[in-house]
Amino acid sequence: MGKEEILKKLAEATVLGDVEMAVSYAKRAIEAGIDAYEAIMNGCAEGMRIVSEKYEKGEMYVPEILCSAEAMYAAMEILRPYLKAESIGERKKIVLGVVRGDIHDIGKNLVKLMLEAAGFQVIDLGKDVPNEKFIEMAIKENADIVGLSALMTTSMVVMPEVIKEIKKRNPKIKTIVGGGPLSPELAKLYGADGYGKDASEAVKVAKSLVGG
Amino acid sequence: MIERMTSMERMIAVLTGQKPDRIPVNPFILGFAAKICEIPIGDLYANAKKSFRAQLLCAEMYGYDSTPMYAYASFGAWEFGGEIGFPYEPGQSAPYIIKHPVETPEDVDKLEVPDPKKAGSIPIAMELAKLCYENKMPVVFQVGEVLTTAANIAEPARLLSWMIRKPDVVHKLNKKVAEFFIEVAKYFTSTFGADKCMAFTGGPIESNKLISAKQFEKFVYPYMKQIHSKVLELGVNIILEHPCSDQNANLPYYVKLREELNWKGKYVWAFGPETPLEKQIECFGKYDVIMGNVDPPSFQFKSFEEVLLLCKDNIERGIKNPSGYILGVGCELPPLSPPINVYALIKAAREYGSFK
Repeated sequence: MGKEEILKKLAEATVLGDVEMAVSYAKRAIEAGIDAYEAIMNGCAEGMRIVSEKYEKGEMYVPEILCSAEAMYAAMEILRPYLKAESIGERKKIVLGVVRGDIHDIGKNLVKLMLEAAGFQVIDLGKDVPNEKFIEMAIKENADIVGLSALMTTSMVVMPEVIKEIKKRNPKIKTIVGGGPLSPELAKLYGADGYGKDASEAVKVAKSLVGG
Repeated sequence: MIERMTSMERMIAVLTGQKPDRIPVNPFILGFAAKICEIPIGDLYANAKKSFRAQLLCAEMYGYDSTPMYAYASFGAWEFGGEIGFPYEPGQSAPYIIKHPVETPEDVDKLEVPDPKKAGSIPIAMELAKLCYENKMPVVFQVGEVLTTAANIAEPARLLSWMIRKPDVVHKLNKKVAEFFIEVAKYFTSTFGADKCMAFTGGPIESNKLISAKQFEKFVYPYMKQIHSKVLELGVNIILEHPCSDQNANLPYYVKLREELNWKGKYVWAFGPETPLEKQIECFGKYDVIMGNVDPPSFQFKSFEEVLLLCKDNIERGIKNPSGYILGVGCELPPLSPPINVYALIKAAREYGSFK
């Protein structure tokens, strides 16, 4: 089996959410001498790109995406030890979390998944994250982007405060907000650089902000 | 306008197909009532007396027509043996899950259908229901949605991936959830009489942002039908159904539900703002009441004038429903909304929704 076919099968396994198939083709990629980074980006990540497209078209939903994620992570487990530092290059870094008082993290986890598949390094702070934690980690990690998620109208109100403080400490850091009650207008009002209405849009916005 | 009806008379008029003096208003207010009455939002869910008082005073102050009720979206986790927290911290607005009672498929096997008299929040809901009953208000009890409740029990992402990987486990869990809701319905109707009760159901996991219509058909519809059939059979005549968030693709199944139940009882449909009123009227207008769906975040972030216009638009479109319309909000009214914006609902109902 040639390189192109292995990568195609790896992408297919990701789309199908077939863990066994993903592991099998990840192993074949290594055996065939395919660069691990290329296998991740042109196999697993390509699969997630297709997943994202299918979600946008209403052809796939969250249960299927979660299975795709499982397959992708299983393949990445195999491929990761073979990654060469020079192939990876410098990945754009995003600090991501659900704001204080809010524990709804399905959306954030989908964004994380899509960002990782798109080559971003994601520092996931989890849910119910205090404002100070976002600020501390953004500075400490020298993040390119900070992503704030909220599902509740009561929790999203802390976003402007976090964004303002991050911008004060390092104006170069970009900020993205997302979640049920947010809108492009609110994102602008809150001083965010971007708004993602769903996971796939969040990735497009993140890329456009930092050229990732 | 001069109001010629009490809130109760107004609601009864709409539910029985008669013309009220003005369209009733049900703003789906929970946490906001706590804010207005200066009690922590946590008390609204943890303390029946304070909850009843806050909801009642808020309704009286504004003049809207809904009565106190007890329901929350993360229902199920505590009731089935997990742990929840009440929203006492900044940013929180509803009970949240600390521990899901189900982590593995084996846990589902071991899971027992709890006794509704003792399960989780039900004693609090019952205490609030008794206050409603004593004050001659309808008793509202929660009977769903099934998948949202199952997700609260098993953790949403786990449950959603089981829908693909272990569908039998999801069905097994849904079956127990449905059984529990039927027991809850029996408990409330036997305590107060079915004619004094209204059933409430709704949840976000059924949303088409998360699952497909086909998945709704497979994992929600059979259990929803089972519960609704039983609730109607027990003699409850009114079901307030809140398909939360975007459920446009599930609409045919809600119609199917009503058809297969022979349009028995009176449903009040409270869809999210994603579902146009015109579509709802087309689907349910011949038999059921439509509750308006003004965009919730707008109450928190838009000006009074803008909110008033949104309410006016909702009235002008909803009032066309031949079986009645209630002005409402597409989900819970944001607790941090400026108080004046809530007045926009009442003002709009009086100015644009009065009948001669």
